[in-house]
Amino acid sequence: MRTILQAENLEKVYRVGRVDVPALRGVSLDVHEGEFLAIMGPSGCGKSTMLHLLGGLLTPTSGRIVIDDEDLTAASDARRTDIRRRKIGFVFQRFNLFPTLTAEGNLRLAERIHSANGADDPERRRDVLRLLKLEDKMHHKPLELSGGEQQRVALARAVVTRPALILADEPTGNLDSENSAIVLNMFQELNYRFNQTIIMITHNPEAAAMCRRIIQMRDGRIVEPTASIQV
Amino acid sequence: MDNLITANIRQRPVCSLVSIAGVALGVALVILFTGLSRGMSNDLKRRSQNVRAEIIFAKPGSLQLMSSVTNLDTEYVKEVQQVEGVEAAVPSIRYVSQSGKGFGFEQVEGVDWEPFARMNEMRLVEGRAPQAVDEVVIDERKARDNNLAVGSVINLFGNLPYKVTGIYTPEAGPRVKMSLAAMQDALEAPGKCTWIYIKCRNENEQAQVAQRLSEKFRDFKIQFTRDVFTSVEQSIPFLGLFLKVLVGLAAVVSALVVMLAMYTTITERTREIGILKAMGASRGYIIGVIEKEAILISAIGLVVGFVVALVTGFLIHRVYGLVFEYGWAWALTAAVIGLLGGALGALYPAIRAANLDAVSALSYE
Repeated sequence: MRTILQAENLEKVYRVGRVDVPALRGVSLDVHEGEFLAIMGPSGCGKSTMLHLLGGLLTPTSGRIVIDDEDLTAASDARRTDIRRRKIGFVFQRFNLFPTLTAEGNLRLAERIHSANGADDPERRRDVLRLLKLEDKMHHKPLELSGGEQQRVALARAVVTRPALILADEPTGNLDSENSAIVLNMFQELNYRFNQTIIMITHNPEAAAMCRRIIQMRDGRIVEPTASIQV
Repeated sequence: MDNLITANIRQRPVCSLVSIAGVALGVALVILFTGLSRGMSNDLKRRSQNVRAEIIFAKPGSLQLMSSVTNLDTEYVKEVQQVEGVEAAVPSIRYVSQSGKGFGFEQVEGVDWEPFARMNEMRLVEGRAPQAVDEVVIDERKARDNNLAVGSVINLFGNLPYKVTGIYTPEAGPRVKMSLAAMQDALEAPGKCTWIYIKCRNENEQAQVAQRLSEKFRDFKIQFTRDVFTSVEQSIPFLGLFLKVLVGLAAVVSALVVMLAMYTTITERTREIGILKAMGASRGYIIGVIEKEAILISAIGLVVGFVVALVTGFLIHRVYGLVFEYGWAWALTAAVIGLLGGALGALYPAIRAANLDAVSALSYE
């Protein structure tokens, strides 16, 4: 199976005043195409830092990240942005939709940014909205949607551009159990139907249990050998 | 329209309105001031060109732009008429006062109608020449703009009522004229005038006539009419420079207002900029979004500014009689100022937004 993401000995140290605070202390990780991976661990263990590094939003203090054969760590800021545009989709705990745009507008914005030439793919958009059961919500603004619906729109926005990798930061953290289940099912559906590679940070063991593989982090390190789960 | 730029403008109406008002203010200022300057200047030029007398005979210092003195004895008319080449000499008093409406200034001329009209090829289109000390004639423009007709009463010299007895054309010099005797009576200056208009027998010999007058009347000021009634720009020193400074200030005002408004919206939208960055939007894309928003705001401000300028100019003209003339060159300048001011004003907030740290922006509350 092709390796979509390769992280080698990642270290990240934040400078707070005059004090160096290590957030990651040598993390290595391989993620294969079509994997649905959960990263678990207590608050402050470095999960979010890890996700931001993998998404090119932060640069590691040392180590190397390769996404879909492109070295993220050797790239300039503009190049990292370009890799992110082409290969990564983010889903956040707080949905992070544009409140002024409708659901469809949010998707079209992602398409415009992705395509660089402003082209969009209405068919793909419809497929994604259908899969996420959002066809009748296309013209609604985020504030007119429930939390679960908002997160599904955020998920649709992340996948509509066919990214190689989806990075989800506590996607069910703001949802009740019913909506959490719906959103997690959607993640699973995307993983199975489109062979979509997903890395998800979660505190929720039930959410993690839906993933094919779980890794545990503590104090900036992966503490448990990664376990593959047959779902 | 499901578009981030227009959606942002609609989402923050107060901020957008402040920006639009800032641009509109700058544009309206440029259009109004340049329109007023041009209008007044052209109005003065038109009226001056209709004065056919080639030479003005006066005492030094008798006429300034905003005031005049009545220090010339009308007895000089006879002596002037004896100079070779002089066809006619008509004494005149020009009285300059603040406009009765408290804005701008107004001129009234005291001149004997018949010889003055003959000299300057003017005619009454309605009514008759002023005869009594409380009678005046006005030009067609004054009648039209102020809704005056023969028989109307206007107040001059403060609140003294004068009856309109006639309406003349073409416009030449001050729009209100009374008899010389009436003006002398009003100013308590019997036998005096401000200057004497001189018409030459042959207008091509005006230089020679002026030379003869200078030789005969050494302590007097002999000027060509074309030099006395010059444009407002030439009459008021540094008016051109003032207009340029004003245009520059308008540009700065527009740019500053847009900058402040965009800076505020960018701060409010920090999180959204973080989302854009997470979605892979480049710096150029983010700057482009903010600049397009600023340019759209500026374009709306531009239209509003033009409308405000035209409406304000029309109202000022109706109430105060000031003349506005708008030119394409200044309209274009105002448009460039509005758009460029907005675009430049948004540039700093746009660059700042593009350089935001994505992770910090995403966690912005």
